[in-house]
Amino acid sequence: MGVAQRSRRWLVPVATVAVVAGVGTLGPVVADASPKLPSITAQDLLAKVQTAKVDGLSGTVRSEADLGLPAIPGMAPGSRELTDLLSGQHTARVAFASPDKARVSLIDNQAEQLWTTDGTSAWAYDSSKREATKLTLPAHKTAKPEKALPKAYDPQAVAKQFLDAIDPTTKVQVSGTEKVAGRDAYKLRLVPKTDKTTVGSVTLAIDSKTWVPLDVTVMPRTGNDPAVELGFTSVSFDVPAASSFTFTPPKGVKVTDQKVPAAREHPESAPPNRGKPVKPGKPGAERPDKPTVIGTGWDSVAMIRGANAAGLASNPAAGPLAQLLAKAPTVQGSWGRGKVLTTKMVSALITDDGRVFVGLVTLDTLQAAAAKAPR
Amino acid sequence: MSAPVVTRGLTKRFHGGQVAVDAVDLEVPAGSVYGFLGPNGSGKTTTIRMLLGLIAPTSGEVELLGEPMPKAHLRVLPRVGALVEGPAFYPFWTGQANLLRFDAADRTADPKTRKARAGEALERVGLSNAAGKKVRAYSLGMRQRLAIAVALMQRRELLVLDEPTNGLDPQGTREVRHLIRDLAGDGTTVFTSTHLLAEVGQVCTHAAIMNRGKLLRQSTVADLRAELRPRLVVRTPDLGAAAETLQGLGVTELKTTEETVEGDPGELPIEKFAAALVAADVRIHGFGLERPSLEDTFVALTGEGFDVAE
Amino acid sequence: MSPSEAPAEATEVTEVTRVTATRPSAGRHTVALFISELRLVFGRARTQVGLGVLAAVPLLIGIAIKLSGNSGGAEGFIGQVAGNGLFLIVASLGLSLPFFLPTAVTVISGESLAGEASLGTLRNLLTAPAGRSRLLAAKMVALTVFCLVATMTIWVSGLIVGFILFPVGDVLLLSGSTVSLGEGLLRALVIALVISLSLLGLAAIGLFVSSLTSTPLAAMAATFGTFIVLGIMTAIPQLHAIHPWLLMYRWQSFADVLRDPPYWHEIGRNLLLQAGYVAVFYTAAWARITSRDIT
Repeated sequence: MGVAQRSRRWLVPVATVAVVAGVGTLGPVVADASPKLPSITAQDLLAKVQTAKVDGLSGTVRSEADLGLPAIPGMAPGSRELTDLLSGQHTARVAFASPDKARVSLIDNQAEQLWTTDGTSAWAYDSSKREATKLTLPAHKTAKPEKALPKAYDPQAVAKQFLDAIDPTTKVQVSGTEKVAGRDAYKLRLVPKTDKTTVGSVTLAIDSKTWVPLDVTVMPRTGNDPAVELGFTSVSFDVPAASSFTFTPPKGVKVTDQKVPAAREHPESAPPNRGKPVKPGKPGAERPDKPTVIGTGWDSVAMIRGANAAGLASNPAAGPLAQLLAKAPTVQGSWGRGKVLTTKMVSALITDDGRVFVGLVTLDTLQAAAAKAPR
Repeated sequence: MSAPVVTRGLTKRFHGGQVAVDAVDLEVPAGSVYGFLGPNGSGKTTTIRMLLGLIAPTSGEVELLGEPMPKAHLRVLPRVGALVEGPAFYPFWTGQANLLRFDAADRTADPKTRKARAGEALERVGLSNAAGKKVRAYSLGMRQRLAIAVALMQRRELLVLDEPTNGLDPQGTREVRHLIRDLAGDGTTVFTSTHLLAEVGQVCTHAAIMNRGKLLRQSTVADLRAELRPRLVVRTPDLGAAAETLQGLGVTELKTTEETVEGDPGELPIEKFAAALVAADVRIHGFGLERPSLEDTFVALTGEGFDVAE
Repeated sequence: MSPSEAPAEATEVTEVTRVTATRPSAGRHTVALFISELRLVFGRARTQVGLGVLAAVPLLIGIAIKLSGNSGGAEGFIGQVAGNGLFLIVASLGLSLPFFLPTAVTVISGESLAGEASLGTLRNLLTAPAGRSRLLAAKMVALTVFCLVATMTIWVSGLIVGFILFPVGDVLLLSGSTVSLGEGLLRALVIALVISLSLLGLAAIGLFVSSLTSTPLAAMAATFGTFIVLGIMTAIPQLHAIHPWLLMYRWQSFADVLRDPPYWHEIGRNLLLQAGYVAVFYTAAWARITSRDIT
């Protein structure tokens, strides 16, 4: 065998690199090929979603958020958990059984946080602290199933109403099909008609058999990566065994009992189920009042009074949030003067007179809202 | 039976362009003890590495026991015992353990007889007493013998030995030469490289001479010897008279040293010279024909002296 | 051999002939090289010292916890050791994974081919003939066995030390449920297996680097350097796009065995990644060793 023939052997590892890289990057794409499904209108799809009824499900949910939030080191533990959830990737195993059994376990690195309820009691367990919290739920919760539907309830009508209502602001369309967690799903795409918002589109993947939403993806107006993606990576619609919702505090685990006031329905919100991000109140001196919403639709802005931005910014000892604010650019307009924090999705304006405006909108929209806002 | 070792145009050019082996055509007859002769750095070890498939030739072909190398190495090499460029062992293992490992590497070797064969090989090279000692504690000569033992773990059709007596004391050298003759007596072809001319003269039936990567000569040892005519050597204090007399008798290539006059006697019978010298009143201290040594052959072929440092 | 021994020698020659005459019909003994390779790896004092150090990890951790009288304040598996000795196994495996185990794998894999080349024994093996591909396979198998033995050493040592120093009992899983001691031991065994498979990517890198050089120390240094660089890259958030491709990115996923039920997704991804590394670097080592001039 000649030297040239021998050097041809290097083609083998080169081909292996290509195959490994190919399997690693193209594999998921191939698996996600669009399934063939009968076409459906947005209105029919929305109607189906309302009739969706599952007796139980279990699966793995993965969330990935890239809101472009700045990392704020050294924040209080509670608020760090919040920002943790608002950024990065998270995986949770969820289970649900009709009507009131649910379990969510958030899979952390070598730790797990669990929330589970079997209808009569609810438990929260944190494996890293080895602490469990028991919550006894108000009795009425179990007495009745879900609230009964009105007699005249017509899914088609409700769907039409909804579509008519959001039509001025949002384009709604069935934008195709995809495979989610191995199931065939329709994609329902909502695109804001205004360019005042930072939201580019919201896409729901809806299972073509059970009509349960399996995935939601929020795209920013700029960029190709989702700002938020939350969906099942695997799902089963078999009803989980009742035993999987019970929790027996193990030996060596500290248990705290807590009564739940009747007004609060849920002991703790499931972590991946997040709405609009809320600015942590720390370390502002007084508790901010209830937010006021200015505007409607995509470009609505929330206003919170009582944040002492000027004081924070001038006092570097007030903590990392203050340092962040101190570095933030200052803007002014007819509404006054303030500091702005902008990320890929969220914009915030903290005025010197202590008002905070937050929204999924552009900075210009935020300032316009501030000008309209009551002082 | 075809020749156990055949090469055609065997060439090795290293990175950087240096040609270590240059178009070498070897043919080793079956049953021969083939001396592969050349000074250090003449390309002997590189050639042996190519014979055994350790390095790839730049061009040319190798045939071992009738099969192409390195393509057929898994079929051929079990029938070949090899010792390449000095003994190499696991110093932290005993001599016996080393033998067992190299034998285990050959998938045709029977594990059931492995220990027995190792014992016999060690006995044959005189290392039975050191079998349980770690190789770390072996002398160079012992390692050399252990390396030969590796080649003797099985019955081989061909032995390729690179400098087998390197590092051995005179007694060890004699034993190894004896062993080679024994093996050749059993019908094994032995291909042995050396930079010691004496070795070739003592054990080899055939010889090849390498210099600077080129094969200069390949033939039987007897033919090599015969190539140079015997020389007439006269030891005498009367140098001038002796030279004159010999010249008168037609002796050519006359050379005078401090004590001798020598030259090519031509076709005349030797006794004529003795008579003539006596007649010319030349005092003779010594008189005779001298066979040329292999070293002379080598010098005649290469035009340079042999590296005989050892 | 002196002339006086000549008669004895003559009889020996006939014996040799008799024993070896059966060779052509002796068949193929492919496994012998693999066994011999294991002897080479595990017979060395260096390997035994390395395994001894690994065995000492649970002992040191156990004694430290015992002396400090820690009642479980620490987070993670370490904090559970005082309450249940079985967690000494898991904690020791977890703590050995970032440094001790990779170091041991680096030393053994860096040595594998470069060591033979530097001793010159590679020549003897190849003229035996071992076959270059088969020799490489034997080296990789021995490395795999070493990874397994290394983690099992910690498992066994952790079991012994944990059971002597601490109380043992039912095992609390991350999900808050409890399994029997037997199942806990089994899960710890699965963790040891997962960790040993996690080391294979590094072992293959070491094998490849080792095929490039004849200096074992250089091979070890280069392999360990690669390991460190990969570790640093894993720690740089700006490189998150390539993180899923990095060797150690999912190493910590072994703890998923301790969920209820075990969460296999990340472990599976990790093992797939290791398989990818093994495929690439093993074939590269193959290309190198089969085309290399052995001097």
